[in-house]
Amino acid sequence: MPNTDFSRDLDQHRGYLLRVARLHLRDEALAEDVVQETLLAALSGSGFSGKSSLRTWLTGILKHKIVDAIRKKQREPTVASAFGDIESEMDIEDFDAMFSERGGWDARPADWGDPEEALNLRQFLDMVDVCLEKLPPNTARVFMMREVMELETDEICKELAINANNLWVILYRARMALRQCLEQNWFARKGAPA
Amino acid sequence: MIRQSLGHIISCKDASRLVSRREDAPLSAWQRLVLRLHLSVCTACTRFERQIRFLRDAMHKYRQ
Repeated sequence: MPNTDFSRDLDQHRGYLLRVARLHLRDEALAEDVVQETLLAALSGSGFSGKSSLRTWLTGILKHKIVDAIRKKQREPTVASAFGDIESEMDIEDFDAMFSERGGWDARPADWGDPEEALNLRQFLDMVDVCLEKLPPNTARVFMMREVMELETDEICKELAINANNLWVILYRARMALRQCLEQNWFARKGAPA
Repeated sequence: MIRQSLGHIISCKDASRLVSRREDAPLSAWQRLVLRLHLSVCTACTRFERQIRFLRDAMHKYRQ
């Protein structure tokens, strides 16, 4: 049973992989399939060289499986697209409401104190999860592709058939929403002075 | 006095867009200049910039 220890190591990352796949695919069954395939590929494939962390390596495999799943879905015209209308999420106007007519902040960003400390807290990372879940689906997907899977901007544009400007708008929305969500639900609550 | 008006060639709204875009694509020399000028006079946007950078660190941590 040479693989037993390794497969136990892999299993520890299942929860994390599921979270990423779920946020990306918005389809529980598909997310589970993709994670299963990832773990199988990890067990049977060319092997983990140990150069990067196990999680980083698994995320790399997961990325490819997710992209394959997306491509497969796009080739099935009869299946209602899980990806909806990406264009409806491209309107930058919503975040114009955060600014006055003259372009100044309506609600100034608060002082977050020393936010790096939060990175060591499990509850903070859970809150990041909550805030990611609140994003509109396509916005979340694009943000995950950029910030978790670390795809290059032109890779994302090609994958989703959008132009660079569209991409920047979506990422802008994601960052504005996440920043606001974390401020409201974490940093403002911790009694940081405004 | 001059520095103040130079700092407002762009608005906070514009600055927020540039700060975000800079994470994904290099800004032009002009964009870099007006953004830097704005940040030098605007504490709100300076905070915003730090928070956006922190967001990226948070996502790195999330990945782990």
